[in-house]
Order: sequence, then structure tokens, then C-alpha cells
Amino acid sequence: MLNYILRRLLYSIPVVAGVMLITFLLFNVLQKPEAAAALNLGAKASAQAKQEWIHNRGLDEPMPVQFVKHLGRLATFQFEPSWRTGRDMREVFAKHAGPSLLITLPGFVCGLIAAVGLALYQVFVRNSLLDRSMTLAAVALMSVPAMVYIIFGQAVIALALNYFPAFGFDMQGLGTARFLVLPVLVMVLVNLGHDARLYRAIFLEEVGQDYVRTALAKGVASTRVLGVHVLKNGLIALITLTVAHLPALVMGSLLIENFFGIPGLGNVLFIAIQTSDQPVVLASVYLGSLLYIAGLILTDLLYALADPRIRLS
Amino acid sequence: MPLASLPLAAAGSGFFTSLNDFLNRWWVQDFIVVFGFGLVFVLLRAGSRNERWQRAWERLKRDRTGLIALAVICLYLAIGGLEALQIPSSGGGRRSVLDLVVGGIPSEKTYSAPLANTLLTEIPPKPLNGRHLLGTDALGKDVFVQTLKACRTALIIGGLTSAIYIPLGALLGIIAGYFRRWADDLIQYIYSTLASIPSILLLVAILMILGKGLGTMSFALGITGWVGLCRLIRGETMRQNERAYVAAARALGQSHWRIVTRHLLPNVMHLVLINFVLGFSGIILSEAILSYLSVGSPVGTPSWGSMIDGGRSELSRDPLIWWNLSAATVALFGLVLSLNLLGDSLRRAFDPKRG
Amino acid sequence: MSAVSGERWSFALLVCGAAFLLCAGCDNNPHPRPLRETREDGSPWLVRYAGTSEDVRSLDPQYAYDQISRRVLEPVYDCLLEYHPMKTDPYELTPCLLAEMPIHEPGANGQASYLCRLKPGVNFHDDPCFPGGKGREVVAADVHFSWQRLCDPKVEATIFSNLAEYVTGFAEARAAADQNGGRFDYSRALTGLEVIDRYSFRVHLLRPYPQILYWMAMHFTCPVAREAVEYYDGKSHDGELRPDFHKLAAVGTGPFRIVEYSPRQRVRFERVPGYRTTTFPTDGFPPEKAEWLSQFAGKSLPLIDEVQMSILRENIPIFVLTRQGYLDGMGANKDAFAALLTPTKTLAPKYRDRGMFLEKDVEPSTFWTVFNMEDPVIGSNKKLRQALSSAYDNLTYSNIFMSGVAPVAEQLVPPGIFGHMSDWKNPYGYNLERARRLLAEAGYPEGRDAKTGQPLELSLEAVSSGSEDRQRAEFEQRAFAELGVRLKVNEHTFARLTEIEDRGAYQIASGSGWGADYPDPENFFFLFYSKNMPPAGKNYGRYRNPEFDRIFEQMATMENTPERLALAQQLTVILAEDCPVILNFHKAGYSVIQPWARRTHSNMMLEGGLKYVTVDHALREQKRREWNRRPVWPLAIALVLVAIGVGYAVQVRRRLNA
Repeated sequence: MLNYILRRLLYSIPVVAGVMLITFLLFNVLQKPEAAAALNLGAKASAQAKQEWIHNRGLDEPMPVQFVKHLGRLATFQFEPSWRTGRDMREVFAKHAGPSLLITLPGFVCGLIAAVGLALYQVFVRNSLLDRSMTLAAVALMSVPAMVYIIFGQAVIALALNYFPAFGFDMQGLGTARFLVLPVLVMVLVNLGHDARLYRAIFLEEVGQDYVRTALAKGVASTRVLGVHVLKNGLIALITLTVAHLPALVMGSLLIENFFGIPGLGNVLFIAIQTSDQPVVLASVYLGSLLYIAGLILTDLLYALADPRIRLS
Repeated sequence: MPLASLPLAAAGSGFFTSLNDFLNRWWVQDFIVVFGFGLVFVLLRAGSRNERWQRAWERLKRDRTGLIALAVICLYLAIGGLEALQIPSSGGGRRSVLDLVVGGIPSEKTYSAPLANTLLTEIPPKPLNGRHLLGTDALGKDVFVQTLKACRTALIIGGLTSAIYIPLGALLGIIAGYFRRWADDLIQYIYSTLASIPSILLLVAILMILGKGLGTMSFALGITGWVGLCRLIRGETMRQNERAYVAAARALGQSHWRIVTRHLLPNVMHLVLINFVLGFSGIILSEAILSYLSVGSPVGTPSWGSMIDGGRSELSRDPLIWWNLSAATVALFGLVLSLNLLGDSLRRAFDPKRG
Repeated sequence: MSAVSGERWSFALLVCGAAFLLCAGCDNNPHPRPLRETREDGSPWLVRYAGTSEDVRSLDPQYAYDQISRRVLEPVYDCLLEYHPMKTDPYELTPCLLAEMPIHEPGANGQASYLCRLKPGVNFHDDPCFPGGKGREVVAADVHFSWQRLCDPKVEATIFSNLAEYVTGFAEARAAADQNGGRFDYSRALTGLEVIDRYSFRVHLLRPYPQILYWMAMHFTCPVAREAVEYYDGKSHDGELRPDFHKLAAVGTGPFRIVEYSPRQRVRFERVPGYRTTTFPTDGFPPEKAEWLSQFAGKSLPLIDEVQMSILRENIPIFVLTRQGYLDGMGANKDAFAALLTPTKTLAPKYRDRGMFLEKDVEPSTFWTVFNMEDPVIGSNKKLRQALSSAYDNLTYSNIFMSGVAPVAEQLVPPGIFGHMSDWKNPYGYNLERARRLLAEAGYPEGRDAKTGQPLELSLEAVSSGSEDRQRAEFEQRAFAELGVRLKVNEHTFARLTEIEDRGAYQIASGSGWGADYPDPENFFFLFYSKNMPPAGKNYGRYRNPEFDRIFEQMATMENTPERLALAQQLTVILAEDCPVILNFHKAGYSVIQPWARRTHSNMMLEGGLKYVTVDHALREQKRREWNRRPVWPLAIALVLVAIGVGYAVQVRRRLNA
């Protein structure tokens, strides 16, 4: 097992290096240092001020040199401070990961519960009119762009009914929950259609297995078979599918955080893209790839744990 | 607005500019449209010779939801095609066939409500130049006509992107699944790396370099979207490899090329078709998100994404301006829903056990 | 665990979750609680809820240039001089940290100097950077130190090149630092700022420059404590990371200090007790507010205790929060206008009944579309430029995108600045007939090249950061299409657009403009001065006209005399005829102010003027309750739906199990 983990980690290194190369190239071809200086200093800055800004950040060195320095820094997790605010990236990640997780974790869990519930119910009443209409509804939910959910969520519920703050965030202990309700609801809605369909397929496959027919023939209550056995076995397949996304939850959802003004990592990356804040983007991409690879390794481990027949070769 | 605008990263290159000018001529554009439709028709005909596809078509004919979805998609295709076909108009400009069909609806100065008689903000109110079924937008353009015209944009983006990512994904998938060993490792490395980069970042960066345009957007979406198809085809190819007929073909000494084209490719094409239909809907949804991130369709090109994006702030007005956002959402929803339903029906038709 | 008890557990969970949500979601106030409830004397603790649209970039007064940072800097750092908050026509400078206005001493050889004296007894804020944490007195050496920082290349002061032309010794000091590997020698005194005694200093100029007073009213020249710069070095001390003074540390002399800065969320200011440097003005009140303002005359500042400035990047939340009463005011944007204003530019009845106020914001600025005078097609063809300018319907543009509030710009100098001619009309304003005629005379009848018959194609570079920008660009496209001219729009980020303008790689660029640094026409005309070429200067259009230059050099540093007015008007006429830009509009906007937050000042040269702001606490609480009533019926409907759903599920289960 340890062997396997080590080998996978070793394999990830060229992947991460490839990722950093691509993003670095994109960013340095994408934007000349002068434009970055103008963006950071303001349009009215003099050419001299811009030149000094560029020189102070080592942007006038040849590209291979810059890249090697970047790689070295990233490998030791010493990220360059943001161009815009000068804050250290580690501090930024530590501070903003919290709000992101406060939305994505409940969103994930609630979404899982809702989708599993709906999927199980559909399997329950499979091949009936209800099943078909629910499938249609799920597809319909999937076919609406996430933005529309967000727009209506903000405009209708928050504004017209005054229940929850339309915008903003503040850590207030228990009171923080009121900022989370709308974003979590939107997140669940956006993913519900797609997830319900996927889980329904998984559970249907379980129901097709022999043991289910045997149990039903033996007279076990339908709900018990469904609620306990099918659910348990289906969950295993389901979790191995979804666990790959778990580490990436830290990164937060770009759109939702931007719309609702949640100061999470998704918002950090979004603003960094808009303002071409290269250090933040590079650090976020780096973190994102590490988390994604961690998710993949986690998935493989869970597969091996769940099914001893699979050998980790 | 030309169908294809080549990424002019190497600006001022004489070859590219003259090629672009050539592509801009109206009869070239019409030719491309007809050629595109013709190509689709030929491909479908080729598919119909496959036994598997024939059986699937029988099953599909009995699936009412699928048929309705197919009909709706054909409607969108027709509207988009009408808009793409251009004829020269008086004054040296160009109009689309759709413009002819819909008739010359004049534009106003600014917002007006559906079927209204006056502009929203005029005092004293003056009568409008024409009747607007769904009102007008900020610059006075008729919303209904804009929604129809945006069909073309959606179809172009979907079509071009598919033309890029499908050959790429399918080919690499087959190579990885058939040849295994180092080819498989290399391709897996490439798509792992690509998948690790947050796709929004990659899209935005590529679009910023290449500039906005339907062509560049399709290119960017294409080269970031082939990973899913590649994985799928790779898995299916590996499964097919185990089958007896492949072993037999190899025993007979048939060349790799023959095995791939004669045996493997036809047996994975149904997956490609399903992925194409479902992927199309995803591409159209992505265009909406890209418009929000300000790297969507260029200025002057009607698109549902930019209408939705513009509708965001309009919802906070009083009187409420809802027609822009609603028209685009409904049109978008209609097409995406039909594509999803058709994809599901196709899946059921090709493999009824996994319904 | 049996299926039945599992169901009971999940049901119980559901009920608990709903109850929890209800309790938590009882309030839609997004703000944290104020620092205190009451002042020491028992009167209510006054809080102001303001908004800004971006994070702060830097709080270093010698470095920060963008408007957002300035808005946060202004309450914290007092300047040597300041603008009178109510006098806007003309603007008036009054002493702030200085005891009186600087005394002008004309010198020999055309040099000049200003004698300045600081007010005694003004202290820096209490801060750990000082021994014992107590802020010390501000002295002339602090002014000298901050002016030295302007010359330090590491500080990257953005106005250094402006001042280096006029202040003695600036250029030499910077050159010395550059030769020393970029290290500035703070032990060497500046020749341009002579420290006379503890509170007095003299500013030496190379030639007369009355505009130096305006720079003294800006935070670039304000005194800064050496201890603060050295203490806040951005490094870790004893395991704690100190902020970097160049970025996010502020130790000032102003009426507020920053007590919290949560990035992307809010900035919080608290009143500095014992602030005495300035008091509320006693004169200059506009007649319609004179009676109300007189209650504040001569009072100590600031009038409130705390400011919570929320960072709101999107328009919808700003509007929503204002409607709910959680923001004390907002600038009306294109879409908010329609909701808030009637077509006759008065407040809509719904909001008037709420008691809100409508205030007009006039910022001395002008916006235009710039032609690249070095472009072969446009630069040499004056009639083409005049034709394009005549095709631009500024009035409709203003109506669509600014609800008709922003006045059409007929000339470069905006109203309120010396040199503006109030009855001058742009000879090449909107007139389609004239446009078509000029276009034909330019060699492109009906938009086609007379020689080749090809339609004229021009390209426009524009910023693309949202749907409104896209609509503006489309408007320009359609405007030129009326003439038969095809306009290709290229969209860029703001950074890229600046870069393109710097390099001159464009034909037409939209969205250019200039907001006055100080209320003087030189600040506008210098944009067309041929010695001000990019990348060092801001003459992005690369306009070159020797006659313009000659007259400009004459009038640049004159005092405001009738001769200067005549020269300025000559410059306006030259620019109108040459048409290097299409003038669009002067920025103006409306702000909607809540009934409890009536404005005391309207001078837009101030970045918020937070020390003059006041709120009526009781009125705000009352209105918030009124405007945020929560209807109960949606909850009832939701509960009924849930009950139906549960009932149905139970029924189906029973049927299937039977």
C-alpha cells in the first residue's frame, strides 16, 4: 500500500510540473510586464514608476530564469506575494479556505443527501410514469445554466422576501448560517439534476443484481431491501465516484462566491484572473492541481479498500 | 459576421488577412453552411449502414420523447441555418435569409416592453417604429429577432468545438486503448495534466491571447474538452480489444490500420455520437458562463449568453425588464433540454439494458 | 438499524435542520455589529455604512494613486492643505496641517519658494511603532521624510516625474539613488524642501508653479512617521507577520484609524479621540442647506464614530442593500437609474415617499474616444475625424447609459474648472448630414473609398468587463454604421488596453478620459502637449501641433487672469478644429442618499469626506424595520408542500410493501 502511494506521488510530479509550465507560459505570453505594471499602479503612473515596479519584481529577467525560480519557490511552498495586495499566499489560503468550505461542504453533503434520496425514490417507483417525469425534471434542472439559478436566487428570495442577506459574509458564530443558506441552496440546485441521474443509474444497476431478486423472493420488505442493502452497496460505488472531488471543495465555486460576495478561494482566483494577478493565479492553480491529484489517489485507495479483488498494480 | 475568424495571433500576417477576407465573402459563407449540413448528412448515411445503428434507430423510433427532442433540435438547426445563409443586400451590405423571412423589423432607441407602443422612458411617449413581440433591448434591437439570430451563434460554437474535440478525443482514445504501453502512458499523462488545470483559467487565458471570436472560443473549448471523450473511448477500446473478433483479425495478420478502421472504430462510434449530442449541450452552457466572465461572444454577435449576462442587472430595474433574460433562457433551455433528452434516448436505443 | 427507525431519525434531523435555519435566518442584515453601542457620554454610537467597489491596493500615501485606495487613505491621513468641502465654483484650498496658507516668495532667476508652517500639537495616531505606543507630534522633519520617499525608487511614487520638473533637487536625488544601486540615502537632506525649524519649512521651486498648492492638498505630500515605515516592513517579528507599510499599514494624522481590514469584505474605521486639527466649516454653506448645516458649524470632527465600508463588486447587491436600508447611500448606475428616477430626473415617488434624497455628483472630468494621430488612415485625414465626430450621438448615449444625467462634452475643460466656456458648442457635434458631407469630402462617399470602392473599415479598441461595456461598444459600432463605415471592435482587459495605448498599436480607442487631479485647466490641456508622449507621458493620441504647444507653454503656470482665459479658449478652439478626439461627456451621476444620511458636503475633489458625514441613528433603525418586513406565507406554503410530500411517500411505501 505504501509502495503504491509513493509511486503515485512520484508520478504526480511530472504532471504538476507540466501544469506549472503551461500556466506560466500562458501568463507570460498573455500579458507583458508593462501591462501588469499599469494595472497595479493605475493608469496615471509614469513610465519610470512602471519600470521600477517591473524591476523590483524580477519581471525583466529572461523567462527561463523566471520559470526556474518559480518552480523552486512552489516546490518549497514559498509563494510569491500577490501583486495587488502584497499579502502572502499562505495567509490568503488559510484565511479564505474557511468561507469556501463553509459553502461547499454543506452543499456537497446536502446535495448528496437530496440526490441519493431522489434517486432511491426513483428506483423505488422505477419504470412508472412518476419515474419518467422525475427523470425529465432532472434533465430539465440540468439544462438551465447555473447563472440563471443564481440570478433568480438573489433577486427573488433575498430581495422580495427579506429572509436572508442577499449578499455578503461575516463570521458570527451561529449567525454565520444566514449567509450560507442561499449559496448552499443554489449549489445544491445546480448539481441536483446531474447527480440524481447519475445516482439513479448506479442504484438501478444494483437493483439488477441477483441478490436483490433473491431477497425480494424471500419476502423481505421492499423498503428494507432498498433502504439498507441497495443503498449500502450503491453508496460504495457512488462514493468512489465522488470522492475525487472532495479535496477540490476547498477551492470553492467561482460563480457562487462571486455572486454572493463570499470571500472564499474561488473569489480569490476569480479576481486574480480579472486583474491578471500572476502570483495568485499560479499559486491557486498549483494548489488546485495538488488537490485534484490527491483526490485521484484517494479514489484509487478507496476502490482497493472496497473491493479486495482489485490489485493496486 | 463571418462564420470563421482565424486566430490572428500573428497579426498582420498577409496570408491570414487575405484568407480571412476570402472567408468573409457571402457566397463562401453560404458554401460552408451547405457543406456543413451535407457533411452531417453523409456521416449519418454512413452510420445507417452499420447494423448496430439500424437496430438502434428502430428502437429510437418507438421512443416518443426522443423523437420530439429530435424534432425540436431540427427546428433550431433550421433557424440557425437560415441565419447563417447570407445574401447580398442593397447598399453593399449583407443580410441573412432569416432577416428576409422575419421581415424588416426596425430598431428603436432603447428599451420597450413586449407588444408595447412606446419606449420605456420617453416623456411624452411617442409611438414606436414597429411592433415588437418580445420588446426591445438596451440599444433598441428587437428581442425576438435577436433570440433567433443567436441560434446561429450557438450552433456554430457547438459545431466547431465538436469538429475539434471529437476527432482529437476519439483518435487519442483509440490509440491509447489499442496500442497501450508507452502511447497509452503518454496520452494519459497529457490528459491528466490538462485535467488538473482549472478549466475556467485555461479558457480565459487562451481567449485572452487569441482574442475574442467564435473561432477562437471554439478552439479553446475544443482543446480543453477532449479529455472526457478520450477516456471513454479508451475504456471502450480496451474492452473491445479483449473480444474474439479482434484476436481473430490479428491472427489473420491484418494491419493495425485495418483493425482500427474496420473493426474498432465502427464499434465505438455510437459512444462518439452520444457524447457529441450530450457534449453539445454542455458547450452551449459553457458559452453562457464565458459571457459572464467577459470572454464570450464578440461585440455585435447575438448570443444567448450575452443576453443572460446583460439581463442580470436589468432585473433590479423598476419597471422590471424581464423579457431579455427570459427569452434567452427559454431558447437556451429548449435546445439544451432537447439535446440531453435525445442523448438519453440514444443511450437507451443503443443499449437497452442500461436504460 | 431497521429501515423504520432510520426513517424516524432522518425525519427528526430534517425538523432540527429546518428549525436551526429559521433561527439563524431571522435577520437579513449582512453587517457585523458596531464596535460599541454608545459613546462615553451615553449618546448613541454613530456608524456610517459606506460602500466601495474594490479591494484597496495600497495604503502608502506616497504610492497609492487609484481612487479606491485614496478613499480609504483620506480619512486616515491628513494633508498639508485641503479643499473647502462646500465651495465648488470656484474650488478653494484651506490649511489643514499647516497653520495658514503657504506664503509665496518669488525669487531671483525665475525661481520661487513657499514658506510653510505646521500647526503645533498635531499627533500621529497611537500605534505600536512608537515607543510606549503613543503617537508623537508631527514636525517639519516628517514632511521632509515623506518628500524624500517621493524620490526613493523603491517607493515607486507615481507623481515623482510630475514634481521632479518643478521642485529643486528632486531629479538629482533620484539620480543619486539610481547610481547607488537603487538605495536612497535618507541622511542627505533634500534641496527642494528646506527644514527651517521644528514646525517650519520652505519648498524651493525651479520655476513658478502655482499648482504645487494642489499637490499639497493631496496625500502624496503629507507627512509620514519614519518609525511607521521602519516598523511595518512586511517581515515576521517574534513569529507574527507585520504588514508592509508599502501595502497595508497606515499610521496617519487624520480623524479616523483603520481598525479592521478584511480583504474582499470590508474596511472599518474608528474615530480618533482628541482630533483637533480641523473643525467643521463655518461659511460657504449652499443656500438650500444653510439652515440645516448651521447646527454643525464649528463643531469638532469627525461627526460620527465608526465607518463600515463594505467592498461590493457587483451592482445588484449594492442596489439590494440600499433598498433594504443597509447602505447609507449609493451611486446610481444605468439600471438603478430607471428604478430610482423618473424620466424627468426627479426621484421616483416610491423612493421619495421613503424620504430618500437625490444628490447630483459632478466630477470635473471629461471622457472621449481617442484617435491615433499617427495612424495612416485617420491621423492625416482631418475631415474624416470631423465626420466621425459628427456621427456620434452623444445625447442618446448619455440617455441610454447614464439616464441622461451626464452632460454632453462640448469642450475639453469640464464645467467648474477655469477655462470652461459655458456657451460654447462643439462645431463637430452630432449632425448626420454634416457627417455624411464631411465623409464624402474626406474621400469616402457613403463610407466607400472613392478610389477603390471598398467600404471603409476601422478598428476600435475597447475595454470588456461586463455586459454594459459590450453594449457601449455596440453603440459605437452602430453609430458608425449609419455612415456606412464598418467598425470592428476588439475587446481587451483594462491592462491590455493601457498597454496598447502606450505602444500606439491602435486606430481608435474608446473609454479614454481624464479626471482632474486638481481643478486647473493645465491638468487637461497637458494631455495634448507634444512633449508628453507615451510611454512616459499621457498623450495617447500622439497629437502634435506646434501652435498648440506654444500657447500651452505660455498659459501653463499663469495665475487665473483674463489673459489666461483667452489663451485657454484659443486652445479649445484649436482642439475642436483638429478633432484629435471625439468628445463624449463630462462625468456626472446621481447618488441616492438615505433619509438619515443627508449629505453635508458635495465636493467631489474630496474622496468621500468622511469626517464631515453625519447619520441619524434612530431614524435608520426605524426605517430598517419598516423596509424589511418578512411575510409569513412562503413559509406556510413550504411547510404544506413538505407535509404533502411526506404523506405521499408514506402512502407509496405502504402500498409497495403490501
